[in-house]
Amino acid sequence: MTAPVIEADRLQVRTGNRCVIDLERLQIPAGQITALMGGNGAGKTTLLRTSLGFVKPAGGEIHVLGCAVSRLTPVALVQLRRRIGYVAQLLPARSELPLTVREVVAIGRTGRAGLFRAFTAADWRVVDDWINRLGLGGLAERTFGEISGGEQRKTIIARAMAQQPELLLLDEPAANLDLGWRERMVETIQELHSASGLPIVLVCHELELLPPACRHVVLLANGSVLAAGAPEAVFTEERVASLYNTRLRVVHTRGRHAVLPPGGPDV
Amino acid sequence: MRSCRREDPMFDVIFWLPVMVGGTVAGASSGLLGTFIVGMRIPFLGVCVAHAALAGAVFGSLAGWTGPALLLPALAGAIGTALALGLLDPQRVPLDDNVVLSFLFSLTMGLAFLGIGLHGLLGRSDSDVRGLLWGSLNFCRWRDVWLMLASAGALVMYIGAFFKELRAIMFSRVDAAAAGIRVHLVWSGLLVLIAVVLTVNFQTVGGLMIYSLISNPAAAAFQLVKGCRPVLAWSAGLGAASGLGGFLISAATDLPSGAVIVIVSSLLLAVAMLVRRRR
Repeated sequence: MTAPVIEADRLQVRTGNRCVIDLERLQIPAGQITALMGGNGAGKTTLLRTSLGFVKPAGGEIHVLGCAVSRLTPVALVQLRRRIGYVAQLLPARSELPLTVREVVAIGRTGRAGLFRAFTAADWRVVDDWINRLGLGGLAERTFGEISGGEQRKTIIARAMAQQPELLLLDEPAANLDLGWRERMVETIQELHSASGLPIVLVCHELELLPPACRHVVLLANGSVLAAGAPEAVFTEERVASLYNTRLRVVHTRGRHAVLPPGGPDV
Repeated sequence: MRSCRREDPMFDVIFWLPVMVGGTVAGASSGLLGTFIVGMRIPFLGVCVAHAALAGAVFGSLAGWTGPALLLPALAGAIGTALALGLLDPQRVPLDDNVVLSFLFSLTMGLAFLGIGLHGLLGRSDSDVRGLLWGSLNFCRWRDVWLMLASAGALVMYIGAFFKELRAIMFSRVDAAAAGIRVHLVWSGLLVLIAVVLTVNFQTVGGLMIYSLISNPAAAAFQLVKGCRPVLAWSAGLGAASGLGGFLISAATDLPSGAVIVIVSSLLLAVAMLVRRRR
């Protein structure tokens, strides 16, 4: 059996006096799309940031790709981050510098290329390949500030994929996107996974964002695991009602999931 | 400028050549720095480092340092302040860079003026320190030019060595760190060089001119071109044009060179904004 890509053991993370993560045990399996879901403040983003070593745990340990994150030296931590593609919840604050889309995607190759080494032709091939695979070919020489929010999100995903990561962490990749862009994002996530079996951890609020390939959901509440398993098993109407304090219908159909207001016609 | 109208034109050229070269180098190197400082939205760094250099020089003077040797405590003050900013990890410190800079700016300015006041109380001369505060391009000599060239050369080499990392850091320090880039190392090195270049330029050409040469050429380049390399080249070129052009206009009109350079760089920015609007 393949080792989990993320494994937390008695992990505690505190912000001031508040315990934002208190996990007895959590395993994110290899080769799957895992959705981390839960209400606001459940600890989803903090868990991703702890995986990257941006947040130090107050207790316990988190292993990512086999590395005990809190025990890594600064250099080893940098090396681990090169193996992880990370798309943050917030888009980078618009830089004044007019970097082109191609230059932004190239940031993903920068760490791997190493200090004092210029990009090789192979590095640029990887950059251009991901630009094209994510449908950004016509925008490559436009500046990051000139393109739409959805295109910016795709650019940041291309940047993460240009790292050729062993694990992809996506923190609300569809935040603030309209319906069309949201569906394209679902397709993109599905394609990224099905092309190579890349393990993806997807933080999101909407059930509609789960791609059909996502068969593992971890539901967090107050920093702890409330439930884990297949979306149909985790997202029952009773659990949604108790977690979000609102009664909604949960619909699972053809690998996709949605919530609807109570009543109305059957789907 | 009076001496430009002397009888002997050869004397004028020899006398003013270091001033022209100094203005050009100060403009080019400040323009290069400006690409990073304005690109990362921390234009306050320029005045903050300049006042830290002044504070260092003031306390160096109180400790008995005089003349050109004051550059050393000035550098110590500037580098210390720049590194204080570099030590702050944006992932862990819940303060915006500009908030930190305003704190450091007010602290270093307070220290500088406290030190100037102590000169009076202790009966020490503060003429060297005042010269630093109001540095003037017209008094730039070859020794200053060589120092400026050396610091600018170090900056160019650093940018060449860490170009791809600096480009990533300018886009987003958080994203760069997440992509496995040695952000802390490269960013701290750049901050040290910013402190060195600004201090060397500051003592020669004065704070006001440096501040405008950091902000205006970079902001103008951002209007005109896209991509990191073109922006760096245009920013350095516009800075050099501001420095040299401003000096030549001041020489022809007998107006103060520092003020004219500031106005020329501001006009270049205005023109760049118009050009962008017309596109």
